[in-house]
Amino acid sequence: MMSFDTFVAVASGGLALGAIYALMAAGLAAVWTTLGIFNFAHGAFIALGAYIGWQIADAEAAGLGLAAGVVGAFVGLFVIGILFHLALVRPFERRPDIVTACVITTLAGAAICESAINLIWGPRSKQLGQLARGEVDLGVFRLPVSDLVLIAVVGATLGTLGWFLSRTRTGRAMRAVSQNREAAELMGLDVPRLYALAFGLSAAIAGLAGIFVGGLRFMTPTMGTDPLMKALIVVILGGIARFTSPIYAAILVGFVESFSNYYVGLYWTPAVLFAMMIVVLFLKPSGLFGHHQRTL
Amino acid sequence: MPPISSPPLGAILAVSGVTKSFGALRAVDNVSFAMAPGEILGIAGPNGSGKSTLFNAITRIPFDMDAGIVVFEGRQVQNLPAHRLAALGLARTFQRETVFPSLSAVDNVIVAIEQTKRGGSLRRNVLLAEQALDIVGFPATLHNWRAAALPVFLRKLVMIAGAIALDPKVLLLDEPASSLTPDEIDRLRALIRQLREMGLAILLIEHVLELLTGVSDRLMVLDQGRVIALGEPAQVVRDPQVVEAYLGVAP
Repeated sequence: MMSFDTFVAVASGGLALGAIYALMAAGLAAVWTTLGIFNFAHGAFIALGAYIGWQIADAEAAGLGLAAGVVGAFVGLFVIGILFHLALVRPFERRPDIVTACVITTLAGAAICESAINLIWGPRSKQLGQLARGEVDLGVFRLPVSDLVLIAVVGATLGTLGWFLSRTRTGRAMRAVSQNREAAELMGLDVPRLYALAFGLSAAIAGLAGIFVGGLRFMTPTMGTDPLMKALIVVILGGIARFTSPIYAAILVGFVESFSNYYVGLYWTPAVLFAMMIVVLFLKPSGLFGHHQRTL
Repeated sequence: MPPISSPPLGAILAVSGVTKSFGALRAVDNVSFAMAPGEILGIAGPNGSGKSTLFNAITRIPFDMDAGIVVFEGRQVQNLPAHRLAALGLARTFQRETVFPSLSAVDNVIVAIEQTKRGGSLRRNVLLAEQALDIVGFPATLHNWRAAALPVFLRKLVMIAGAIALDPKVLLLDEPASSLTPDEIDRLRALIRQLREMGLAILLIEHVLELLTGVSDRLMVLDQGRVIALGEPAQVVRDPQVVEAYLGVAP
């Protein structure tokens, strides 16, 4: 039996993990629902975000502080995401086999990004600083401040994204184009621009996630592979009925991972997660919160 | 009286030499025609004669033409992207009710209005959307229903309202009567006439010949991608070539 303090530590770690996965899955789902393709370079975007953040923030590099690193990773990955879309996805847009073509091009893009990181920053692992230090005493238990900051930043980011999608003109247009491309064209929407924007936003959010992952673990060029796999589990587990459904699934996966690491052991955790995913797919193929209609 | 089959002077839409192939199949083969402002030009033809492909090629949704020129209001537009065409005033609908399923009827139309110069504050856009829905005769009590929950006819009306909300000068309607009941087809006929009264030129693909000949000023018949007849509806339907294309035998 675990003590209450341990329980709180494991749970808050799970919530923090879940928050990162939510960020990743939201970005992955944004591209999947609008463009109908799976972006295998999403993990490499996380790595790029972490390295760009490190370049700006770390004392060994530009030394401008972590806040500047967060902004830099977000903006930098937004631009990279749009360029990536123009070069590796747009040329295949009208092809009937776009899904297969983009499996190959986005995998190639991931390899290019990882090699570029190796060339620019070298293979030796780095680490980003924590968002905040210390613990906050809540009377009954204590929580690391960095977890709280992480959860707050992710909450604010996803809240802003939700507001953007439902309340702004461009956001509504993005939701519309994700539901029916032809209807969007019929209604006069600039579909290529909206696709590029969706890709850019998705990459920018991945960049932000990269900063957090880089604060939790050591940074390597392939650091995005594991979070990508978790985000994939999240998206399949949660379904993509609406923008919020991967978020619940992400928190669930974060908790399960955190408790499974403690009880079952680190090496068995992926098996536990995949088993959970397979059971859900058996019982409800569209995902826990899913729907057959794909939409943002 | 000038012959009706000649292209009208001061055409709002003139299409010339449009060709589109899929592999070895010439789906649309060197099609040319012109429309006067406010005219209804009907397009008939057997299945697979290239009617929808012609629409797709003109509007570039979802593909481009191989060759041809499209002049809209005196300006070549065949190289403009689809959304620019829509913004200029060349709108289309699809044979299937193409709407945003999880958005409400009024939100569907608002998305279209937000793309136009007429769009403004949300309140103004809601008003304009409600106007467009009123024009097509969409019931006011269902404005906030999700499009997915509406019957086929009402989804078609939402789609047409979305196209009208773009304030087009030319509207391309692709088989609007397909899968409708006779009563609904009557309402559609009235709507098409009403749109013409509002000054729209309409290019109308239709299989329901009686609807097509009833509203069209001129009728064009396609067969195997080529124009085989163009003229006054009553004459065109008696044309031996047209009869043969439809029935497969010479009279």
